[in-house]
Amino acid sequence: MNRLNIALVVASLALAIYLSALSPSSMQSMQSGFMSMLSPFLKTGTAMQRNIGSVGERLKTLDELEVENVQLVAENRQLRASTRLLGELETENNKLRMALDYRERSSFKLLAARIISRDASTWWNTIRIDRGFEDGVEADQPVLTDLGLVGKTTTVSKNEAIVVLVSDETCRIAAKVEGTKEHGIVSGMRVQEDAVGGLLQMNFLSKNAPIQPGQEVFTAGVARGSFPPGILIGKVKEFIPRTLDGQAVIEPCVNLMTTEDVFVLVGKK
Amino acid sequence: MKPLIDLLALFIGVLLAFIIQNFLPPMADLHGAHVLLVPMVFCYAAMVLPFPAMLAAAFFTGFLSDLFYLHVVAGKVEIPVGYSIVFFVIFGCFANGFRPAMESRNSWPFILLSTLGTSLFLLVQFLLITFIRGGIIVAPAVGWRILAPGLIAGLIAPLFYWTVSHMDRLLPDGSRKLRSVNR
Repeated sequence: MNRLNIALVVASLALAIYLSALSPSSMQSMQSGFMSMLSPFLKTGTAMQRNIGSVGERLKTLDELEVENVQLVAENRQLRASTRLLGELETENNKLRMALDYRERSSFKLLAARIISRDASTWWNTIRIDRGFEDGVEADQPVLTDLGLVGKTTTVSKNEAIVVLVSDETCRIAAKVEGTKEHGIVSGMRVQEDAVGGLLQMNFLSKNAPIQPGQEVFTAGVARGSFPPGILIGKVKEFIPRTLDGQAVIEPCVNLMTTEDVFVLVGKK
Repeated sequence: MKPLIDLLALFIGVLLAFIIQNFLPPMADLHGAHVLLVPMVFCYAAMVLPFPAMLAAAFFTGFLSDLFYLHVVAGKVEIPVGYSIVFFVIFGCFANGFRPAMESRNSWPFILLSTLGTSLFLLVQFLLITFIRGGIIVAPAVGWRILAPGLIAGLIAPLFYWTVSHMDRLLPDGSRKLRSVNR
């Protein structure tokens, strides 16, 4: 290796070290730019994948479509009625809270999003959704489905966002167990033997906590946290008492491998 | 002119590899192992490009890899941008030493280095995560997720080599056509 080559290697490594010293927000900005660049290709690829995958599903008879349409219209009416009722209850609840000098409970707006890619890396459990800061999405916003919690947004680009799933070890959520006073921290496991399921762990529980399999686990909603209280995370599969504390193994309520549509909680209405 | 065309082809190849591997689902039968194409594409470039062009390729591939895998939670970056650049520069320096083998059309070093490079990339990632998060995890799934992508890259490498060598002859470069005619 001649001197010029050695100098080039040293310069490359020095540049790499300089880049590694940048602030997390600068790195996120660069990632956001890269995501915006790849976004059209990823969206086209996802659309193609969906079209290929749904060839069989699309071949439905008119009768089947009519039946499905009737069902959907009925469900839509039912949901509208429920939403109206819940809205009235929310107003009434807030009035009563105000009367009792409680802080008004904030309501959130749900933004529908589609998953455009999932599990792009080996060691991190993430998905990418087709909504970005142009749609009002910001970092650290909860992502959920009608069944429960999916994760939270991390890097957000113009029309795309990365969501770290609840099954990732770095996604930590303050949670409580239904019917008990037990609070703990739910997180994913670093490596899952079974890649399909994806179990969660709930740590820092009391050693003798009265926790039974099947009990539901909800977000606790701590101050300055990303998640509001009351979102379902999953069900207890097993409780393991340890020397100093207890650990619960949780089965997530959302199938993170097959979900295609999610909602982002984008702040107050 | 020739290294510039090769470098441009590599840049496009790496971007394509990122897009394609993004759509390849993890293999449930192999404990969730992924198919990685980027280290293999870079390995080919490192074995055909002259040293300065290889360094440019290493920087480009490493930078994009870092941006692709950047994991930020609650304002903290797990593996900062720059680690993959260091990896690809070191790996590229090693692979570049096998250029004469590629010039004599021996594809075995490329296949072996693709296998090694892919698994090594994942191993270094895993070790960094272990170092940052603490607690060593020894499980069959870890082994599978590190070794299986390397073996798959080794299986894909001959096909990639054959395709790229045939495409190479189509490029507008007189010396290549002459070289293939002479052979």
